[in-house]
Amino acid sequence: MMTSFFDQFMSPSLLGIPLMALAFVLPWLLFPSPAPRWLTNRLLTLQGWFINRFTSQLLLPVNVGGHKWALILASLMLFLISLNMLGLLPYTFTPTTQLSLNMGLAVPLWLGTVLIGLRNQPTAALGHLLPEGTPVPLIPVLIIIETISLFIRPLALGVRLTANLTAGHLLMQLIATAAFVLLPLMPAVAITTSVILLLLTILEVAVAMIQAYVFVLLLSLYLQENV
Amino acid sequence: MLSRLVFVSGNALKSSGSFGAGLVQASRSLQTSSQSLAPVPPLPEKGGKTRHGIIPEELFQLLYPKTGVTGPYMLGTGLLVYLLSKEIYVINHETFVAASIGAVFIYGIKKFGPQVAAFADKLNEEKVAKAQEVKDLAVSNLTQAIEDEKKEQWRAEGRSMLFDAKRNNVAMLLETNYRERLHMVTNEVKRRLDYQMPSRTCTVAWSRSTWSTGSRRASSAASHLSRRRPVLPSASQT
Repeated sequence: MMTSFFDQFMSPSLLGIPLMALAFVLPWLLFPSPAPRWLTNRLLTLQGWFINRFTSQLLLPVNVGGHKWALILASLMLFLISLNMLGLLPYTFTPTTQLSLNMGLAVPLWLGTVLIGLRNQPTAALGHLLPEGTPVPLIPVLIIIETISLFIRPLALGVRLTANLTAGHLLMQLIATAAFVLLPLMPAVAITTSVILLLLTILEVAVAMIQAYVFVLLLSLYLQENV
Repeated sequence: MLSRLVFVSGNALKSSGSFGAGLVQASRSLQTSSQSLAPVPPLPEKGGKTRHGIIPEELFQLLYPKTGVTGPYMLGTGLLVYLLSKEIYVINHETFVAASIGAVFIYGIKKFGPQVAAFADKLNEEKVAKAQEVKDLAVSNLTQAIEDEKKEQWRAEGRSMLFDAKRNNVAMLLETNYRERLHMVTNEVKRRLDYQMPSRTCTVAWSRSTWSTGSRRASSAASHLSRRRPVLPSASQT
């Protein structure tokens, strides 16, 4: 059996027992729960500060009705950031490279925003399908285009996260393999490749954080439209 | 990490009946601090000491009596060489990935670690400073209130002195008034008496002058005059 570069994206299982649940419960262990004291240690202080700051910034443009989503959006952000960053370690499995997980996160949340909009303010929600100031002959075409764009949103959310992370991991594996293979043959080129790998790692760290943020930001944007 | 899992789930389950209590009792052997809950024991100033950021200092203390200072390092090197030579750990492309991510991680910690720690400490200090400010404001307000109250009490004492002064004032006015009237009475009496002296002198002089010529008529007139005109004016004439 030839090992391929895509083996890292296989759903992990041990003796037939799927370990997927273990894989995405792990980040929960890394976040300490708030302690019953007033002054906490540095980790807990920073965690609390980050969550507060992030949630307040994210929900600034959203109306008061959308503030109910604060908890789910903040926890989604922490979940995605921790999964992405942990996946950068060697020999780890990144659950967010699985399209099933990302679609499982994107579709229900997006559908939730759409249904809230259609239920509470149907006119305004349908009004989003036609941008202001369109010339009259273009109206039918534009409505179709906007409807397609509306339905593409969950696909885009899920596939964006999957593609970014999968591509990054794959690229890291490829360049690392190149450096590893070149080391006995052409050490100088291997060193250059290692430098490229280092830069790519820095990029991947940034991408991991940014993709999680973009996912949550877009969801808050969809919420803002519909609430 | 498993112990932390036990702590976290133990905390969550503590309130959920007998199973939770059992779990807390089971994990009691893993807890090393004292077991009372109140007052909450203070947090240690710094975290556990580590060598090179990961390895606890306790390992070095454990091995020091038998293997000296280089003991743990020899252990680590031996372990690494054993894993590599027996191909328990195979060097492959993932090693390069591990090396690069390790380099990024260590660089990040070395560069931004102290800043982040100072920021976290600053957050805590701001919290304490805010509460301290409230406390100081309350204390200064209360001190000010105490001083104001003392001043009011002093003023109240002074008020009785004020009343005494006013009473003295009134008494003095009355005294002055009485003395004025007494003085006026004395003057008036003196004035009447002063009239009597010259008139008596005059009468005596006239009677002496008329004594030699018409002595009977004069003496009877003088005695008649002296009888008619009283020495002191009566109260009805004044």
